[in-house]
Amino acid sequence: MDLVIEGLSKRYPNGVQALRDVWLTIRPGMFGLLGPNGAGKSTLMRTIATLQEPDSGSIRLGALDVLRQKGEVRRLLGYLPQDFGVYPKVTAWEMLDHFARLKGISSGKQRREVVDALLRQTNLHQVSGKPLGSFSGGMRQRFGIAQALLGNPRLIIVDEPTAGLDPEERVRFHNLLSAIGEEVIVILSTHIVSDVSDLCREMAVINQGQVLLGGDPLQAVEGLKGKIWRKFVTRAELADHSARFPVISSRLFSGRTLIHVYADAAPDASFEPASPELDDVYFAAIHGKIGGAAPPPVLAGVA
Amino acid sequence: MKALAIAGFELVRRIRMLSTYVYFATFLAAGAFFTIAAGGGLAGANVSFGSSKVFINAPYALNQTITALGYLGVLVTAAMMGRAVQQDFEHETFHFFFTSPVSPRQYLAGRFLGTAVVLTAVFSSIAVGCFFGIHFPTVDQALVGPGRVAAYLHPYAVSVIPNLLATGAIFFALGALGRRMMPVYVSAVLMLVGYLIAGSLMKDLDNKWLVALMDPWGNRAQHLTTEYWPIADRNTRLVPLEGYFLWNRVLWLGVGAAAMGLVFARFRFAQPSVSARKATAPEAAPPAAPAAPARRVEANASGWAYLVMLPRLSWLAFRETVKNVYFAVIALAGMLFMFVSARALGSLFGTNTYPVAYQVVELTTGTFALFMIIVATFSSGELVWRERDARMDQIHDALPIPTWLPLSMKLLALLGAEALLTALILVSSLLIQSFKGYFHFELGLQLHFLFTVFFPDIALACVLAVAVQVLVNQKYVGHFIVVLYWLATLFAPQLGFEDRLYQYGQSPQVTYSDMNGYGPFLAGLRWFNLYWALAALAVAITCHLFWVRGVDASWRARLTGARGRFTPRSRLWMGAAAAGFVAAGAVIFYNSHLLNPFRTESDEQEARARYEKRYRSHLDDPQPKILDVKVAVDLYPTERRADLRGTYRLKNETSQDVSAVLLNVPWDVTIRELALDRPHALESVKEDGLHTAKLQSPLKPGEEAALRFDLGFGERGFRQRGEMTAVAGNGTFLNSDLLPHLGYQKSRELVEDKERRKFGLAPRERMLDRDDPRGLQRNVLNGEADFVGFEATVSTVPDQIALAPGYLQREWQQGGRRYFEYKMDGPILDFFSFLSARYQVKRDTWNDVAIEVYSHPGHQYNVDRMVEAVKASLAHYARAYGPYQHRQVRILEFPRYATFAQSFPNTIPFSESIGFIAKVDPNDPEDVDYPFFVTAHEVAHQWWAHQVIGGDVQGAEMLAETLSEYSALMVMKEKYGAQRMRKFLKYELHNYLTGRAFERKKEVPLSRVEGQPYIRYNKGGMVMYALADLIGEDQVNAALRAFLERNKLKGPPYPNSTELLADLRKVTPPDLQYVIDDWFERITLYENRAIKAGYRKREDGKFEVTLKVMAKKVQADELGAEKEQPLQDVIEIGALDDQDQPIALERRRFDKSGESELTLVTDRAPARAGIDPMNKLVDRNVDDNTVRAEAL
Repeated sequence: MDLVIEGLSKRYPNGVQALRDVWLTIRPGMFGLLGPNGAGKSTLMRTIATLQEPDSGSIRLGALDVLRQKGEVRRLLGYLPQDFGVYPKVTAWEMLDHFARLKGISSGKQRREVVDALLRQTNLHQVSGKPLGSFSGGMRQRFGIAQALLGNPRLIIVDEPTAGLDPEERVRFHNLLSAIGEEVIVILSTHIVSDVSDLCREMAVINQGQVLLGGDPLQAVEGLKGKIWRKFVTRAELADHSARFPVISSRLFSGRTLIHVYADAAPDASFEPASPELDDVYFAAIHGKIGGAAPPPVLAGVA
Repeated sequence: MKALAIAGFELVRRIRMLSTYVYFATFLAAGAFFTIAAGGGLAGANVSFGSSKVFINAPYALNQTITALGYLGVLVTAAMMGRAVQQDFEHETFHFFFTSPVSPRQYLAGRFLGTAVVLTAVFSSIAVGCFFGIHFPTVDQALVGPGRVAAYLHPYAVSVIPNLLATGAIFFALGALGRRMMPVYVSAVLMLVGYLIAGSLMKDLDNKWLVALMDPWGNRAQHLTTEYWPIADRNTRLVPLEGYFLWNRVLWLGVGAAAMGLVFARFRFAQPSVSARKATAPEAAPPAAPAAPARRVEANASGWAYLVMLPRLSWLAFRETVKNVYFAVIALAGMLFMFVSARALGSLFGTNTYPVAYQVVELTTGTFALFMIIVATFSSGELVWRERDARMDQIHDALPIPTWLPLSMKLLALLGAEALLTALILVSSLLIQSFKGYFHFELGLQLHFLFTVFFPDIALACVLAVAVQVLVNQKYVGHFIVVLYWLATLFAPQLGFEDRLYQYGQSPQVTYSDMNGYGPFLAGLRWFNLYWALAALAVAITCHLFWVRGVDASWRARLTGARGRFTPRSRLWMGAAAAGFVAAGAVIFYNSHLLNPFRTESDEQEARARYEKRYRSHLDDPQPKILDVKVAVDLYPTERRADLRGTYRLKNETSQDVSAVLLNVPWDVTIRELALDRPHALESVKEDGLHTAKLQSPLKPGEEAALRFDLGFGERGFRQRGEMTAVAGNGTFLNSDLLPHLGYQKSRELVEDKERRKFGLAPRERMLDRDDPRGLQRNVLNGEADFVGFEATVSTVPDQIALAPGYLQREWQQGGRRYFEYKMDGPILDFFSFLSARYQVKRDTWNDVAIEVYSHPGHQYNVDRMVEAVKASLAHYARAYGPYQHRQVRILEFPRYATFAQSFPNTIPFSESIGFIAKVDPNDPEDVDYPFFVTAHEVAHQWWAHQVIGGDVQGAEMLAETLSEYSALMVMKEKYGAQRMRKFLKYELHNYLTGRAFERKKEVPLSRVEGQPYIRYNKGGMVMYALADLIGEDQVNAALRAFLERNKLKGPPYPNSTELLADLRKVTPPDLQYVIDDWFERITLYENRAIKAGYRKREDGKFEVTLKVMAKKVQADELGAEKEQPLQDVIEIGALDDQDQPIALERRRFDKSGESELTLVTDRAPARAGIDPMNKLVDRNVDDNTVRAEAL
């Protein structure tokens, strides 16, 4: 079952064009949606999760029309939002049990099994009797994914899940996600490039409401071979270089400023060739060096 | 079923919350408390359901308690129902629910159902509390009637649960669709406004349907349905679901259903729409970071710097509080209520007074204070929680600001908001005055009152509200606690907690009089202001200590924080506040408890019970009677004291020896001399105010003696309540209560059965039987004199005029004081008064009678009207009854501390507030000229009381009050015409019916009246008017003349109502004799009702009106249980035009009760028609005598 998004657009009342004619086809497996803050990721996520209406366009999940058949979609949906709260005095177990019942698991025995299993899977079994208000950030995220996994969803949407987690929690979280079955569509929306490079076999880069580029991350990186150049510069030189060269990113590396430039050939002798990473794909796309404003109807280069 | 699952989860969640138990316990306690208090089980508490004859577990009483506490529950309903859906937005858990395969309808239904069940369970605690209260050991079992389960359940079925569902649906919908709690609060306020406006409209009898429907809780509608129910009904009947009440329920359940319909239709599982402010626009790539700034900025973190910042920060917080929709809505709702209430400013009988400054400001502050309290309650929560609600608290708490800064800032902002509202009150007052065409604003007075008398109480309330929020640290529970506190202070005096020293924020009431300004009230007020201000300071310092800063809000963390903040400087402030508090408290205690003993309501009752227990055995002891009174009264207005010196000439008019004379002098009067002119020993019991003069040799029958007295009366310091106002800076009004009285004073006994039982006294009859010869030996006023000679010299300050009954013989100045000597030229009743003020005098004459009106300068609005009334009355009564016995009539204004007019011999003191500032609109036929009426009534007393007075038996007051009321009605009829009397009679009937519903012991027929005002004034007036209408005014007056002639100025045996009735029977035709029996000797009510009326035009241009009416007569017993009587009566039928003026009236004899069809011929087309259209007969229902006439 694929998720097919066609011509989706959304404009907020204050004039912001959050989605601009988005076309995407997402197949089962981990799909990464990469883009900066304000790119339209959350709007897209919420629209797919039946929480928001677009101005135009359509979304199909298999044979279901997501926009018009919300009830049916919700039966197959697991959603972990970017910002959520909890009822402070309710325990994790009770809350999961309640959601399980709402998701349609009516047999008490089955529910108990499912909730137990999920709590173990997310490593929350020990604290299942504690009130949610006492959970740390990482624990809350794990609770969030646990409820998203209830009821064997076929479509899981995870919005910025690792922001605010420490490295170990991040690893744990990644393990959780990757253990999800192969038949399930998991859309991971994030601005942390390494999440996508670690987990996803397909991705799309989105900015200012438009899909700039999509496909297999490895292939995208391959496509940049020989086009990325690096140089260390001082703080004073930075402004000058940004004006003269197509700088796509600058960061600090061991205390020195390192810039990456996108060009078919070395801009000048002071530049070294760099081995491209997914970061470079991301920055290059964001800066309009690769990808296009009007994406083709079908994704190219899918394995 | 998923909806049930959701409901169940919500139920379980709420059961785990502490707040649910707090609510349950509170309502249970309240129900128990009120029931126990009403049952006399709490010493000192005085709660009743209007009459102590209504059982505390009667259907009516239970209904009152349960529904009243249910109204308090609106806060809980709003909090729970509003949050039922809104909490998912507040907790940000909506994502989970909205993406689950539950339909929005199941979700809504589940939440509503779950919350409704919890609320029902919580409110059920009221009935449980009542039940528990009934069985509490200290409750007086005589007040407990047979218990009925239905009586407990019925109020839930018709009131509590429908209210919960209807108002709950509205709150639920607002919370779900608005996604914020503020709209819920505001809707609760608006409902409250509807309820209050309905209340203020209730005074006008023409608005009943509007009143019944406006109030969402059905309280006013219930009241209208039961207002005339006598005791018997209240003890047995459940409030029926019919008429006003039924339609109110239908309307509001409909509104609730509509709200639910709306929310079901419009609610979507969707992301809350991003508001314009919140949507983030993607940023363009930021430019490269600029070079670091060249110079470093110094941050100044000293205490002074923050103090300087405080005004600006407070201003910002103030703007936040004030500049939002909800504040504006609450303010507007309050202003609306103010303006609606102002319509009926000071009205009596539906006629208003001039909107003088003090009256308007009392009205506006009285009505708006509630809204200011609402603002304080909710805004304090919002202010204290602002950073936490915005999730900015961690950033905020980590700033280097001192902890006192946010506290002060929020407090100042709240005070600023309240000051703004106070200014709004001022503007409203001025607008009200202007709209009524009155421009004497007295701005200085209004500002002074608003900002120095009214505002301090509000400011104290604000400090308390903030403190509760800080200490409780839970916003919604905080609201509830603050509201509980207000209610507690409201009910505290009734529950026996009368001392204001321990009630935060309470200060003595201030009554402003145009005559006497603030009088003695400001002293106490100022001390209390200081006292509570110091307490508020201590409270504020405590808030500072326990302010929640950082993420740990546990008490351990707060205690640690408090210890840290309790610096030496802090200790100093706290110590100073505490010390000042104690000092001010000591001053108040000294003044209100030691200098002027503090007597609660209970203490007063105890004193009276003690008097009876000790001295009742002396009731029939022979005592001399007073023949002559000479008294010298020295008034010291500025020092608030008076001296009274005088002599009584006494004579033993009994046939037995008098061996001891009982002398009663009020216990708080200083006695410098009290002695007989014969050898005697004086035994004094000061606390009872009783002094027994034991004569060495007894006073023989016919012997005379003299009593000399020298008394001092005055006040020092201030009191908490019951401030002495008799001697006032301007407007002194003393009466003969201060002079010694002889013999056992029956008037000092406790009257109410419930109170008597409390002190172990058996219930007693209020008065002796109508024909009891013992009673006829004394007059009903007091037993110590018949008619006495009177002479008085009154002195006062030079710029005031002093008055006493009598003709002015001489006036002179001496020793810086002004003296007036008065003397009566004939014997008068032993009842006098002394007044002194700076008066403006209007003089006029009628024949050879001097008419004088002494009024306060500026209050001349109705003086001419009063003079006219005196002239009209003198003329009418002289013609009807006989000559006036004096050569002067004087009307004297006194301050509004009392609101009556009284008739002394040729002297009529008249309160400032009931006649002098009345505004009678000459162009409005509906405006009743009550200054005229009251004047006529008081002048009539010069005949009916001062020429003839009844014996000390049942029915004696009929001779004075009923006849005066009747006389005044006839004078009104003469001046305004019979057509205009309808509205007046309607008010008389209304007052009678409501009065009997609150009867405290038993109702009696008119000729046996025992002091009940609703009988002797209202029923009496109506009945006599109807009698005169039926048999002719001249016949009635002839009877009254005969009665008067026979008994004029005669001593014992005094006349009684039996004698008057005999005279009336002589002038009544045989076929109408039943009227005397029914109306005077029995309690008779008609149930007359118009069913249909139609008319058609005849060929001769006249109209034939066909009426279908119902006529029925019942007789009631003393508690109101009724039995139908056969009908053989003459009743008037008639038609009215569209101004409610009669166009045809005819008397018909109805010889069977039930429905009849009649026809009537009129000259004009009728608008309404029916039976007894002028409301002349005492009827069970005031409004149903006429119906719209339809053209056939």
